[in-house]
Amino acid sequence: MMSEAIALYRKPLKGVEKMSNECKKERHAKRSKSDMVNLIQNVDQKDDLKYNRRAFLKTAVGASMALGLSTVPFSVRAMMGLSEPDHERVEIAKLADLPEGDSVTFYYPTENDPALLIHTVNGDLVAYNSACTHLMCPVFYEKEEDVLLCPCHKGYFDVNNGHPVAGPPQRELPLIEIEVENGTVYAVGRQFRHG
Amino acid sequence: MGKKICWAVIFITIAVNVVMVQWTVEATLGREYSIVPIYSGISIVMVFIAFFTYLQWKKLEYSESHDE
Repeated sequence: MMSEAIALYRKPLKGVEKMSNECKKERHAKRSKSDMVNLIQNVDQKDDLKYNRRAFLKTAVGASMALGLSTVPFSVRAMMGLSEPDHERVEIAKLADLPEGDSVTFYYPTENDPALLIHTVNGDLVAYNSACTHLMCPVFYEKEEDVLLCPCHKGYFDVNNGHPVAGPPQRELPLIEIEVENGTVYAVGRQFRHG
Repeated sequence: MGKKICWAVIFITIAVNVVMVQWTVEATLGREYSIVPIYSGISIVMVFIAFFTYLQWKKLEYSESHDE
């Protein structure tokens, strides 16, 4: 009698057993057939925990700190004294070989720094490094318009001071300091910011 | 300092740091080595401001939610 009662107690009712099986298989399933579960189907809890207001502000703080710290290597480089060394005096060309409105290419201060000595139509002598300050394309002297042109992206520089006048370049061309002695033009130095 | 002010301060630090990065790169490319550390210094100050403002915001934010 007692053992029958225990067996009856342990044996689940028919309906209850079915319900518990439904719970295991469907109630927690991603694609449930239950309408009550589907009410919140569009809510992804993981995304809610990951992409929220607090996370946004934390990311903003991280971005601010990353931006600020990214300037440190530049500062270290500047303080380590990797500045412009003293330059040699280098012969560029004979003035007689350079008529007005003409230009000649030379390299200063190293073989990797192309430069342009220009005898302008006004009779002035100017020299600049000829790598465009936009994307390093070579710059040419346009005699007709008396202007320096970078043909890659139509960047124009004023031939008198090397400053950009049109197009994408934002910085001036580095100025090569020149000296004329006994009809010969010499490069003696370089200035990055001038005018 | 309220939470909204913390948000504002953090976004101001982002704006200032963006400008400082731009100016630092321009100064480096222009070989103006004397002013690079100045821009960099301003950036570092902004980093500290952002960090301590974040700590302040965190304190306010999480203490309020705890009370709820």
